[in-house]
Amino acid sequence: MSTSNYVEQSRNSCALHGALATFGAIENVAPVLHATGGCGIQYQQGVAGFGGCHTAASSLGAPLSSTNIIEKHVVFGGGSRLREQLKNTVKVVNADLYPVVTSCATEMVGDDIAAMAKEGLDQGFPVLYSNTPGFSGPFHRGYQLALRALIEQIPQIYKVENEKRARSVNILGIIPQQDIFWQGHLFQLVELFREFGIEANALFGIGQDVDSWRKAPGAALNISFSYWGRDAAAELSALYGSPWLDFSFAPIGAQAVTELIDAVSEHIDLDADRISETRNREELLLRSYLSRIAPFYYSKNFQREFAIVGELALVTGVTQFLTKTLGLIPAVAVVTDPLPPDESEQNASRLRKIVSEFDGQIVFEDDFENIASLLKQKSPQLVIGSSYEKFAAAELGIPFLPIAFPLSDRLVLSRGYIGYQGAIELVEDLGSAILGNQ
Amino acid sequence: MSVLKARSLPSREKRLDTLSAFYGEASELIRLYSGEEIDQRIRTFSQSAPDDLYSVLDTLIGVRDAGIIVHGPRGCAATLISETLNKRFGFSNRWLVTNLNQRETILGADSKLRAAITSFNRLHHPKILFVVSSPSVAINNDDIASVIDELSEELGLVIAPIFSSGFSSKSGVHGYDLATYSLAKHLFFAAKEKIANQVNLISVGENYHDVIEANRLLDSLGLSTVTFPDIASFEQIQNSVSSSASAPLNFDRAHFLGRYLEDSYGIPYLSLPRPIGWQATKRWLVGVAAAFGKEAAAKDLHAKESLIRSELLQNPPFAGKSVYVSLDPATAFGILPLIQELGGNVAGLSVSHVDRLHVEALKEFQDKSHALTIHVGDTQSFEEINILQRIKPDLYIGNAENITQAARLGIPSLYLPGIPILGYNGIGSFAKAAANALRNTSYLDQIQLSDPVYSKSWIGRSPNWHIKQEVR
Repeated sequence: MSTSNYVEQSRNSCALHGALATFGAIENVAPVLHATGGCGIQYQQGVAGFGGCHTAASSLGAPLSSTNIIEKHVVFGGGSRLREQLKNTVKVVNADLYPVVTSCATEMVGDDIAAMAKEGLDQGFPVLYSNTPGFSGPFHRGYQLALRALIEQIPQIYKVENEKRARSVNILGIIPQQDIFWQGHLFQLVELFREFGIEANALFGIGQDVDSWRKAPGAALNISFSYWGRDAAAELSALYGSPWLDFSFAPIGAQAVTELIDAVSEHIDLDADRISETRNREELLLRSYLSRIAPFYYSKNFQREFAIVGELALVTGVTQFLTKTLGLIPAVAVVTDPLPPDESEQNASRLRKIVSEFDGQIVFEDDFENIASLLKQKSPQLVIGSSYEKFAAAELGIPFLPIAFPLSDRLVLSRGYIGYQGAIELVEDLGSAILGNQ
Repeated sequence: MSVLKARSLPSREKRLDTLSAFYGEASELIRLYSGEEIDQRIRTFSQSAPDDLYSVLDTLIGVRDAGIIVHGPRGCAATLISETLNKRFGFSNRWLVTNLNQRETILGADSKLRAAITSFNRLHHPKILFVVSSPSVAINNDDIASVIDELSEELGLVIAPIFSSGFSSKSGVHGYDLATYSLAKHLFFAAKEKIANQVNLISVGENYHDVIEANRLLDSLGLSTVTFPDIASFEQIQNSVSSSASAPLNFDRAHFLGRYLEDSYGIPYLSLPRPIGWQATKRWLVGVAAAFGKEAAAKDLHAKESLIRSELLQNPPFAGKSVYVSLDPATAFGILPLIQELGGNVAGLSVSHVDRLHVEALKEFQDKSHALTIHVGDTQSFEEINILQRIKPDLYIGNAENITQAARLGIPSLYLPGIPILGYNGIGSFAKAAANALRNTSYLDQIQLSDPVYSKSWIGRSPNWHIKQEVR
């Protein structure tokens, strides 16, 4: 997949929308858009409703502060309009942080938003900025840009806590809304780490605010759970001297959790007894549940050839669990996040290894039409993907489990597939999809 | 229609003096519109609001057999993700985004557009292909027109460009005009012989059930209907030039096409209200029927249909309730009499915009509820919340993100786009939804905010604090 090709019915939106989702996932943060009116509306209509029922957490769905530029701002510049909007946003909207984000139009005009943000800062308002025009890349790029702005600019606004806390980690790489389970995945990771005696900072979602970001420099380790969190993990590491770990897939089930804890223990000194006790307890419980489904597993033919479509980190995690633990057969894995073409193969090596064992195929593609054709051509017995794939699954008459953006036929609040508990939920959902298709 | 000869359509502000910001009495608006020219209002604080690109896409998803190419970065087509999944009219048009990157916004992307059109046509063979421009393309001036001229001929395909920019108007409704302007310019051909009893139903971005209800009523009068651009095929759109009259479902969005067919093909455009509630539906129905000499049949139909729903008048669901309405003006001015018929009092009104098309409705509004202030703003939730906290209505009826904001104040709320509202069936579904919202308010207690989004100082200010007259 080339990242600059035209795309049919693109499931990936633009960098501006990614930045809005990212900033909006921190409580009491109110983004200020320097954009045409529709940039924010398209985000709310086309993205926020399909990312697992999580609209901007901070403002609970309130429309976004936006300059709504018109022709004269394009012709004469929109800097003064932004100054006015920013000055009034801090008066109208209660927030701890006001990130200014830009759009294609305001970047092409060349408005100096850094200067505008600095003016706000000089007047004592908690303002930061990020240049996020849609043309700068996909949704995922917006996540990266927002993270960079948070990491680099929060210390200019708030006093950060540098002092290292032993056995503490920052969680990065789970993109709000692009991962439809992002809230559940963050909760599950925090809970999983807690079980092993590690304090994890989720940085986004319910209960996460500017304070969480003030504490980020004190973590003993920064972990990225996808390609898209690596730069941020590395940057935190470089700035504050803590190491970073490139985990890059969703740890689902016993095997993956063991890999995660082993990798973490290379950087952090952990309590070996507690680890072994937790593992034994949780693995026993998981095995007990897996054992209980055996009658269904055989009578309803769980052991199917499946096609999976979604973001690399989740696709890898789900595929590894379904293949290595549940005995399903991967027919094709479609990676939809627009990774840089020259790096995609290298990033997917774990997925490649699993899928190749069963002569399956990996495809990097986010074009609706190409994916639908591929699914029909492969004719799997189960489709796991975004709600876009429900149409192909319906044509094939096979079970379908939605797990990726965009999601329209399922409500997701705290659910997720990470850890031991997440693996049980994945089995429940998968089994329900199969039983419901009888 | 001379405007079609121009390269592009002037903004709605220039054509109809559309205002997207105002707070004051109806009499003041009527006075403003009695003059030649209106001073525009602007906001010194604003919230995201639909722009022309958004409304263009809202129109195009209804045109059957059409393909849509959005020439811009990915986010410019984001709202279409919703259409792919939800299929408003039971079908979903294929669409493509050219996914422009930084280099292409500087150096141009004519060749990418050319490749996209060619590939799209090869794969899907649309009957009509719309190429929609975005803010980036409007600024860098990609020569969409030349690419289209060249490929239309080469591929033998009707390709219609729509020059939306996101910044050409302060009001999103301009996009409906841009889309219908493009239809008018590119899809109508030679005049055909008139077909007796055929009426055009101009329906732009409507609820599917509403379209069905309007068709049912016209069918009952023995009229054959060409509904477009919603749900129409390419052939049906072209067939509309044989009709003997055109009627709007929403005059705000339909007037451009209606006037065009009148000027260019001599098909009378019936200037009728939105058929909401008993009174307006009767006016609409009798108005259409009159063009075909069927007034008596329309009056009979009205009497029969009204009888079925007469119990609503005996037990009015809004009895003694105050209602705040925040909608597009055609729907809002249509729903106010219905609320009163159903026993409610209108406590306040927000409309997304007003212009010269609404002067009559404003006069009617003034006659009935002269003391009320009108707020003009599209999804400007901060102003509405300010107003709602002052007047504390019993029910809020809205159409946008604001709906959750009103509910969080503890006000029972109704999201109107999800409810069929037109014709006689619309009366029933609207009354039922409103009654349910008022009957059980337990959820409202769960979602009230402990930390308000808006500052105390803002709530203490006048709602029009940020609305200023534009300096020319």
